[in-house]
Amino acid sequence: MDAPINEDKKLKDLSEALENCALEIAESKKREEDLNQVNRGLVEAKAKYEAMLSNIGDGVIGVNDRGEIVYANSQATLLTGYPQDELLGKMLIHSPRLTDEKGNEIPHSENPIRNAFLGNSRISSRGYFYEKADGSKFPVAITATPVVLWGQVIGGVNVFRDITREWEVDRMKTEFISLASHQLRTPLSAMKWFSEMLIDGDVGNLTDEQKEMVGNIYESNERMIALVNSLLNISRIESGRIIIEPTPTALTELLGGVMSDLKQKIESKGHEIILDVSPLLPKVNIDAKLVRHVYLNLISNSIKYTPERGRIEIKIELKGNQVVSLVSDNGYGIPERQKDKVFSKFFRAENVVKIETDGTGLGLYLTRLIVLACGGKIWFESKEGEGTRFFFTLPISGSIKREGEVSIDS
Amino acid sequence: MKNKDNIKILVIEDEATLLAAIEKKLANSGIEAVSCLTAAEAVKSLEGGDLPDAIWLDYYLPDVNGIEFMSLLKKNPFWSHIPVVVVSNSASSQKKSAMLALGAKEYFLKAEHKLEDIIATIIGIVEKSKGEVYNDFAN
Repeated sequence: MDAPINEDKKLKDLSEALENCALEIAESKKREEDLNQVNRGLVEAKAKYEAMLSNIGDGVIGVNDRGEIVYANSQATLLTGYPQDELLGKMLIHSPRLTDEKGNEIPHSENPIRNAFLGNSRISSRGYFYEKADGSKFPVAITATPVVLWGQVIGGVNVFRDITREWEVDRMKTEFISLASHQLRTPLSAMKWFSEMLIDGDVGNLTDEQKEMVGNIYESNERMIALVNSLLNISRIESGRIIIEPTPTALTELLGGVMSDLKQKIESKGHEIILDVSPLLPKVNIDAKLVRHVYLNLISNSIKYTPERGRIEIKIELKGNQVVSLVSDNGYGIPERQKDKVFSKFFRAENVVKIETDGTGLGLYLTRLIVLACGGKIWFESKEGEGTRFFFTLPISGSIKREGEVSIDS
Repeated sequence: MKNKDNIKILVIEDEATLLAAIEKKLANSGIEAVSCLTAAEAVKSLEGGDLPDAIWLDYYLPDVNGIEFMSLLKKNPFWSHIPVVVVSNSASSQKKSAMLALGAKEYFLKAEHKLEDIIATIIGIVEKSKGEVYNDFAN
């Protein structure tokens, strides 16, 4: 008697199974469609990225975790002159050859992609050359970036471009600086020497009024000389071709030299000087000539922009991994609304421009560039009418040596 | 030792205006100046045999630069001991150290120094070199 029931159940089961089957087929079709879509998306993305990589103006070379070249875009092959199949599989640190201007291979310890891998960070470098397949070479700017996935370096990308044009412009700028310094200084020297002789009475005595006038010419000319010097120094440091030659330096001695140079100016204004240099200060590996310029500028400013019989304090101490120098005065101070312009080119504060007419407005601009080039920081605190405190730091680890072409003093 | 009034300086400066200023100041300081606008003129004067006590040398000359001039001096045993003071408009560290290494006694940047100070330094150098010559004889 159960038979009809069984039949019914069987039919029901069958129909359910068929339904499930249909559902699964539909789902699997959907999955297939989804996969197809993902696949199409991937293919499209790949095509897009490939189009981008092959059409950008920079050379792009990709490496695997062992540093072997696994990809080179068309610009990379064009720039280096090596066809893609000659690059693939080679170690990037050997090929293309990275050299200096004279064609000597760069030591591996300086190789950007190696250092990007080791330091797990992006490395940008200029100043090297790539040797092309035909043996010629070109100056190159390289950015080497590690590719990191789940905390592991799985490869790297070397992006580079030919900077021949910039190189040439830089060279022209340096040549211009050298030429201009010579050409501008000749007439300035003539004015200096002839007015010196007039003042000294080498061609007869002048009346007091005449002496005063020639004295004004002499002083104005001195300002022009200072301006030319500052402009030349700024062009040099801005061109990035400045030589940085760190040597272990005792800052106490360096400061002593600066103070003796400024002795006359300090005495003529009757300032009180307080020196507070930590006896624990070790020698720091810095370019003494550059850092000297920083102290000289900051202390000269304090002397100049503090009314007679002022108080100037110079303090050097070790704080963490930085040597912090402070030049503090109780002088005119910097107006609140002009504080953001202090390090700008040709800036002179409105409260001092009438008191101290002499000044190029280039001193602090240059000083800041120098501090940055030495690996430090500079800042200040000031209140108009109360005084100014300038701080600058130098890393205790020292400045990084730079094989430049020009120095700041000539 | 020669006194100041007997000092003779060979001045090599290609800017006629600057040369005029130098000549005038030297004359007023009681120093005899032999003025030349080029290195060739200077060599001619040296070949004349009446040697100066010091040479005032501009670095950039129309015919040679300071380094070339120094090596020219060094080649002649009668000239090589003459003290040289460079007075130039361009004083990169490289140029300065190259010239000092070649034996120049001092390197002045023109616009940075008064004539009076440059002349005082040269007189000091001449007096010192005379002293050394006398000491050499004494020894």
